[in-house]
Amino acid sequence: MKLWYSFIKELQLSSKSWYFYIEIGMACVLLLILVFVIPAESDDKVDEYLYAGGLPRDYQELLYRGILDEEDEPIPGKRVEIEVEDDSYEALLFVTDTRNLYFVENLEAVRTLADKEGAIGIEIVTGKEGSLIYRYYLQGYESLKLKNLYRLLHNDAVNPEFIRRHLEVQTVKSLGEESLSLNNKENVLPVFLTYNGSMMGLFIIAAYIFLDKQEGIIRAYAVTTSSIWHYLLSKVGVLTVTMITTSLLIVVPLMGFEVNYLNLLALVITSAFAFSSLGLLVTTYYRNMMQSFGVFYILIVAMMVPSITYFLPGFEPRWVQWIPTYHLLEGFKDIIAGGGNGPYILKISLGFVLGGLLLFVYANHRFKKTLTLS
Amino acid sequence: MISVKNLYHSYTKDEKFAVDDVSFEIAKGEIFGFLGPSGAGKSTTQGILTGLLPLQRGEVRVAGYDVKHIKRAMFNEIGMSFEQSNVYSKLTGKENLEFYRRLFDVKTREPRELLDLVGLGGKGDIKAGEYSKGMKHRLTFARSMINHPTLWFLDEPTTGLDPAIAAQIKNIIKEQNRKGVTVFLTTHNMFIADELCDRVGFIVDGKLLLVDSPKNLKLQYGEKFVEVEYLKEGGLAKESLSFVGKEDIARLKTILDHYEIQTMHTKEATLEEIFIKVTGRELV
Repeated sequence: MKLWYSFIKELQLSSKSWYFYIEIGMACVLLLILVFVIPAESDDKVDEYLYAGGLPRDYQELLYRGILDEEDEPIPGKRVEIEVEDDSYEALLFVTDTRNLYFVENLEAVRTLADKEGAIGIEIVTGKEGSLIYRYYLQGYESLKLKNLYRLLHNDAVNPEFIRRHLEVQTVKSLGEESLSLNNKENVLPVFLTYNGSMMGLFIIAAYIFLDKQEGIIRAYAVTTSSIWHYLLSKVGVLTVTMITTSLLIVVPLMGFEVNYLNLLALVITSAFAFSSLGLLVTTYYRNMMQSFGVFYILIVAMMVPSITYFLPGFEPRWVQWIPTYHLLEGFKDIIAGGGNGPYILKISLGFVLGGLLLFVYANHRFKKTLTLS
Repeated sequence: MISVKNLYHSYTKDEKFAVDDVSFEIAKGEIFGFLGPSGAGKSTTQGILTGLLPLQRGEVRVAGYDVKHIKRAMFNEIGMSFEQSNVYSKLTGKENLEFYRRLFDVKTREPRELLDLVGLGGKGDIKAGEYSKGMKHRLTFARSMINHPTLWFLDEPTTGLDPAIAAQIKNIIKEQNRKGVTVFLTTHNMFIADELCDRVGFIVDGKLLLVDSPKNLKLQYGEKFVEVEYLKEGGLAKESLSFVGKEDIARLKTILDHYEIQTMHTKEATLEEIFIKVTGRELV
């Protein structure tokens, strides 16, 4: 009962503190970003600006058709006006599945677009014996591989038909398990859940504890028949409730009934418990937020490393897997993608429970030894 | 009610003791004053007695419980009023007391009754954060009575209070003591100790130098004297004369016979003067 009273009192206190509303507010902001800013499917078409005005008109037509014939279906072109700062340029636009091709009417347009807009510009001129020369306007940061590819593409010594035929007979097989596919919004969701949800407990619980330390509350609590672990667990409980609220606030409007909420709650609750316990432990070594800031900073940066792996799967050294947020991200990803990998979620949750329990027990031990006189 | 034998405590866990071989006993129903300057070891001793600090060396029994292996039930018996107010500033005075009463396993006092007792009757629904320093102190004091403690630890209970409120607090302490509550009073205010305590202990640099009743201490170390003001050669003269020395008694007779007395007061040594005499230290 005392644990319950403490928990209710902590809820009451947190509802009167800024941190609670900042968390809820942040969740709302993230939700708005997900709904209105991040597109579900990204427009990954490349804008290419070509100038072939130096060629005879008939030859230009042939060239355009030649380039566009590579597409499956004939595409109608439309006249557009491109505005770059104070200048505007006429162009003929062809939209294909993979790119937006602008045939501009003067070379200055290509140069300006490459210079001011960071676009890929191509100037096509005739060389000796009527051969075509492609002059690319790049940004300077392109890799040597890409530059060589352009060289290869326009090298008459290489038979382009041979390359095309070779590519068509190649089959690509995935050796791993079926990969989970997420749209852009869904792909960002695990990151928000991990860093604004579960991991925030680490930081916010410290704020609550240091506030209590400042007011000397823990000493008053220590001379009652209630145990210190009641006090600590009620703080963790409040953080867990906050994390559940913020997580659901983001997931429900976006995913509706498409996710397994049982798995989601299991992961949110256990990870909130583990990270809050870690936060508790850190607070036993310091008197205030200022003193502990360095440690929290290092911990948060370390916990953010797996997000690099998350967005760049090519970077996945073994040591990253030792960082808890790696599994948290993967777990949330599985849940959001509807992967249904229940045993994996259970394994991660169990890991967080055990880790959290160890941290909590040690934090409680240290609190009893150190906090009462601060 | 309290038994302390050969108590030692070191914050640095070496031979630099904040409490150095302290022993004393406090009987049920007694008001015991633990007196000393800042940093003398008063709060450390009190911290150990209330379980706020671990017992490193020595034997301590509080309200029948061995402090080495503290049981939570011990806290049903004790009340603790801290020197620095420590209440939830975001909760009202009443909410603070309502919450704390639920943390005990015994019958507790009504928050309203306690608030009335310490003069916060009309302020119970105001957030403690909006209280003045003195009001917070009174709320902390009231909270320490919520579980009907039989042993009451009071750390500087009148510090920062205006004289009227301080008198009210002293009356509450006397009243509780009359009901049989044992009081362990930690203070550097010798006047409140003199007024309230059955016995006092002087602690300096972690060592308990002396334990006795204020009356015995005054008899043993104090010297009664008279302070007299009289007219002499058109001006006002002032002298302090002992009741003990023959010369001083003769001098007093001379003054009474030959001069016009303006004021005359008998005085006895204060606890503070005795403290300085015994320990050689000021109570700062």
